[in-house]
This record gives sequence, structure tokens and C-alpha cells, in this order.
Amino acid sequence: MKLLIMPKSIDQIESLIEDIDGVIVGIKDLSINQPAYFTLDEIKKINEIIKNNGKEIFVSLNKNMFNKDLEILEYTLLQLDNLKLNGILYYDIAIVNFKKNLKLVTPLVWNQEHLTTNYLTSNFWYEYGAKYTMLSSEITLDEINEIALNANAKTMVPIFGYLPMFVSRRHLVKNYLDTFKIKDDSNINYIEKENKIYAIIDSNDGTIAYSNKCLNGINETLKLNVDYIVLNSFNINNATFKRVVSMYNIVNESNIQEFKEEIDKMLETDTGFLYKETIYEVKK
Amino acid sequence: MKKPELLAPAGDLERLKIALLYGADAVYIGGPMLGLRANAINFTLDEIKEGCDFAHKLGKKVHVTVNIVLHNKEIKYIKDYLINLEKAGVDAVIISDPAILKIAKENTNLELHLSTQASTLNIEAVKFFKDFGVKRVVLGRETSKKDIKQIIDNVDVDIEMFIHGAMCSSYSGRCVLSNFFTARDANRGGCAQICRWDFNLLDEDKTPLKGEKEFTFCTKDLSNLVNLPEICDMGVSSLKIEGRMRSVYYIATVVGIYRKAIDEYCNNPSKYEYNLEYEKVLRNCANRDSITQFFNGNFGKESQYYNGRQEVSNQDFLGLVLDYKDGIVTLEQRNYFKVGDVVEFFGPNTKTFEYKIEEVFNDMNESIDIVRHPKQIVTMKVSQPLEKFDMMRIKKD
Repeated sequence: MKLLIMPKSIDQIESLIEDIDGVIVGIKDLSINQPAYFTLDEIKKINEIIKNNGKEIFVSLNKNMFNKDLEILEYTLLQLDNLKLNGILYYDIAIVNFKKNLKLVTPLVWNQEHLTTNYLTSNFWYEYGAKYTMLSSEITLDEINEIALNANAKTMVPIFGYLPMFVSRRHLVKNYLDTFKIKDDSNINYIEKENKIYAIIDSNDGTIAYSNKCLNGINETLKLNVDYIVLNSFNINNATFKRVVSMYNIVNESNIQEFKEEIDKMLETDTGFLYKETIYEVKK
Repeated sequence: MKKPELLAPAGDLERLKIALLYGADAVYIGGPMLGLRANAINFTLDEIKEGCDFAHKLGKKVHVTVNIVLHNKEIKYIKDYLINLEKAGVDAVIISDPAILKIAKENTNLELHLSTQASTLNIEAVKFFKDFGVKRVVLGRETSKKDIKQIIDNVDVDIEMFIHGAMCSSYSGRCVLSNFFTARDANRGGCAQICRWDFNLLDEDKTPLKGEKEFTFCTKDLSNLVNLPEICDMGVSSLKIEGRMRSVYYIATVVGIYRKAIDEYCNNPSKYEYNLEYEKVLRNCANRDSITQFFNGNFGKESQYYNGRQEVSNQDFLGLVLDYKDGIVTLEQRNYFKVGDVVEFFGPNTKTFEYKIEEVFNDMNESIDIVRHPKQIVTMKVSQPLEKFDMMRIKKD
């Protein structure tokens, strides 16, 4: 099982390079839910660092695309295709169509966030070049393993970090501030309900809200049969993230409990939906 | 100009019949499985067959939603379910998951519609699904007038868009607030409408930013009546009304208004005039504010709704006509009314007229002053003829 991180900066990648197997990086104007959004030139630099260290690099182009985005998307896909990346994560199906019509060689990663919940659909996209599937964070450990067993694609699963739970085209924070004439220049905001606090970010592409607790599946790493685990650095300070990555890198039966306790002391964590099946039909 | 289809929601057989009788060209319904409205009553396969028979006799269509976000455990049911839908006479299936699309394509001759749940917003994505064999794409609600026009001009596929009803605050499929707050799966029919909850907004130091009202994700509803001529001119194939869980009164009213407006414009575009009375009826029927939303790029502060959940349910709908014979109407009560109330009757073939209630009889033929029991059957003398499925509502100034 390989360990990927979603980094905040090039410096962070360099500082963690020994402990990781690769990175997933976002790109400016074409990604969302990322701890950082790099320019194409920065992606090229990251690619060099990664390749020089024999690691893997995936680029996430995971925002919902509109017609106005297609030109820059096509250009970016062509540029990225020259970099021999390990994969491109997609949400919008425009990317699948471009891959087909532009005959792009870079493999795709089916990454439709909350929709990647079964192996049949993973196998459908596999036929269109999605050689990897990033699994949803809202399914159980058993479902993850069943998908990994039956999917043709290599599977990835988010295992550590704050989880995106809402994405909107709307500028919800700005709309509120404008409506009630409140001045605020925060780079990140929070919403609070019943003493629980959730990060919320309103940027050019809309609004994203994150879980209040940080997913920590270190206990589960040894029970998963996926190909990759993914650690997200969003809203976690560099020192903490470095320590967490180092623990995930060497976790085994003998240190797993000690590591879990150490992480739980640093952050308010839970195991997300790994053991919590969501209700489908509400009792009438 | 080709007249667009008017597509209405139907939560059960009664609403299916009402929607079609009041002017919908087609209805969309949920079946016993794999739909996205687990909270709705939904149709059994027998009811779907009955609904299809009813629709087809009127020359109209039935579409069934099969737009759940698929989990492993449902995979084994898909093929048989789709075959059974075809046997029941369903005209089209509305699907978001491409693996389900593939099974439908390989095992049935059902017309394939791509659900709005797939959040399709651009030419390239529409092309992909068109090439796959999808007959119609229901666009994401975030598309603007310009986006829709560009898609229609560049891809030869039927385009369906939402014209009226509630809006998700998020992109379809990208909200799991319900999962996190209530363990109810938003993408599998369990949406608990967390977007309508109030929250405190904090700055980056976690200091409260207090407005007169609390922060919420909640948005106003969609109403595109005002843009109807432009939408018809663009060549949109189908205009969809949201709301499989809405009441018969809501369905009848909204469908009736859009039916009239579409016919008036498409039958004689040069003579068409926007009817403010229609707008007023739609406003009275809903209990929430509405705007044109993304069609006109309208998603700024004016699109937000800061009234939380303090909404008053609509009580305008007083009764459903069950029968009319020899000047006597038999009504099923839907909201409180009494002798002396001034009401209106309206229906698919009944021109709206005003009526003052002078006498009401219960099912024992006893004269009563107040009709207060839900679904109580009463009779009244009404000289103007009425038909089954006509409705009685409160007269508003």
C-alpha cells in the first residue's frame, strides 16, 4: 500500500519526500478542495522533484467545469500530458471526453468524491481510461474492501484529514457578509453549530465546507486492501502533518495504538464513516 | 418553434393523474427502488403500470428516476428492475450513474435520460453522454442562459432544464451535509435539508460575525416564468418542475400556469404578453420566495434566504372535487373552510370562477357550518359545472 499526500506547498513536499510514495496536487482555477492550488510552472517543478526521487505524482482537476473553463482545461490537459504524470483526477466528465478525443496518454483517476461508492461504476470508467479510483469517504471499511477486491482500477482512499462535505457554485460567505454589511477579510471562515466548528472557504469557484473532525484511519490502514492511502494537509499545521505522515509511513501492529493515541492528542479526530453506515431509507 | 415538453413531478398515482390532467406532457416518478427520494411514497411496479396506462391514453409519457448513487449491494438488482420498468410501459428512465446507463442500454429499449444528479454543465460532458447513447441530458441547475444556448447549438441531443421549484444550495451530488449531521445519506434519498439550518459564522480567528439573522446555506426557490419565451426560443426540449413530494394543489397550480404560459407563447409568440396574474398565483401557491437563479446569473446575495425554517405551510387549497352531478359537487376537504367563505374553483377544463359558500352538507346529508376534518367528504350546491379533479381554493384579493 502506497502513501500519497495532498501538500500545502513545494517546501512541504520536499520536507516529506522521504516518508511518502507520491503527491496529489491541485492546480489553479481547475481544482477545488485542495490545501494549495499550484500554477502549471509550479506543477512542472513539483514533477521534477517527484521524478528525481522516484515517487508518483497525480494532478487533481476536480472542479465542476463550465463552457468557459473548457479552453483552459484543454490547454492544461495537453500540457500535463507531456509531463508523464501517474494520473489526473477528474470530477467532470468533460475530462474523459477530452482524453478520448485528444488521445491523451496520461491515465485518469475517477474521483467523483461522494459518488465513487461501488465497483461496477469504477469498472465502467476503467474502460474509458480511469486506471485508478479514489473512493468516497462516506462508505464503510467493508465496502471499501469489497470495491478494492472487485474493481479493475487501482484504488485509493482518503485516510487522514478534514473531509469536504459541501461544494457550491454560490458565494455563501460573501453573500452573508454583503447582506448584513459585515467587513471581514478572513482567508478561511468557520461555521458553528452546537459547539462544533466547521471550516468554510468562499473563493472564486464558490464555497466549500469541511467536516469538524479530522479523519484518522491509522488503525484501519492494516485492515484495508486498497492500493493507496491519501493524507490531506488542509488546515493542519506543518509540524503536526509532518509527524502524522511519518507515523503513517511506518505504522505496524506493534506501534499502531501508540500512534493513534498520539494523533488523537494533537487533533480532534474520528474514523469518519469507516464503521458508520449511513441511513438510506428513512423510516416513514 | 417546437413547443417544449412540460414535465411535472408526481409522488403518487393521484398526483400523476392531476399533473397530466392539468397540462403536463409527461411526469417523472420514483419507483420502488434505486431512486433518489427515499422519503417520498414512491410507486410500486403495479402503480407504475397503471400510471403509464393512464398517461398513454392521454398521449402523454412517464419517466422513472433511477438516479441513486449506487452502492455494491444494489448492483445485483439493476438489470431485472430496468427490465420490469420497461414491461410496465415506462417511456424513459432518468439515470445518473453511467454503469446503470450501460445496463439499461444493453438490456432494454428504454429511452435514456441523464439525471441532473450527474451535474452536467458543459458541451464536452454532454457530448460524452450523447455519444454513449443518452437521448436527453438534464442539465445541472448552475448553468446560465449562455451555457444552455452554447450546449444546444453544439450538441444534437435533447436538453431538459429545471424551470420551477426548490434549489439545492450545492452542486447536485456534492453535498453530504446530511451524512455528517444526521447519518442520513443525501445522495441516496436521505437529505435532511441541513442547508436550511442556521449556523453562526466566524472569522479566521473563530470570532463571531453577527448579522441581523444567522448564517445559512439556504437559497430561494427557482421560478423562470418570466424567461419562458427566451427558453422556448433557445430550443430547450423539456421544462421540468421540481417537487415529487409536493401536494396535489401545488402540482395542479404550477403545472396549470406553465401550461397556459407555454401555449400562449408558442401558439402566438408575437401576441404574447407576460401575465402578472400567473406570477401572483405561483407566488401564493408556494410558501417561499423565488428568483430566476443561475439562468440570469442570479446567485449573489439576492438569492439567499435567511428566514431559516420558519415557513408557513400553504393552506389555500380547500378541497378536491370528487364528483359533480345535477348541480351538486362532492368535495374532499384538504384545509379548513366554512360557510360564508369566498372561494375559487379551477381545473383543467374549468375556467376559474368565484363562489361564496352558502351551505355545506356532511356525508349524512346534515347541514354543517364548518368543514374542519382532514379529507372529510362534503357536498355543496354549485350551479356552474365542475369535473372530477377540479379544485377549490381560498379567494385572495
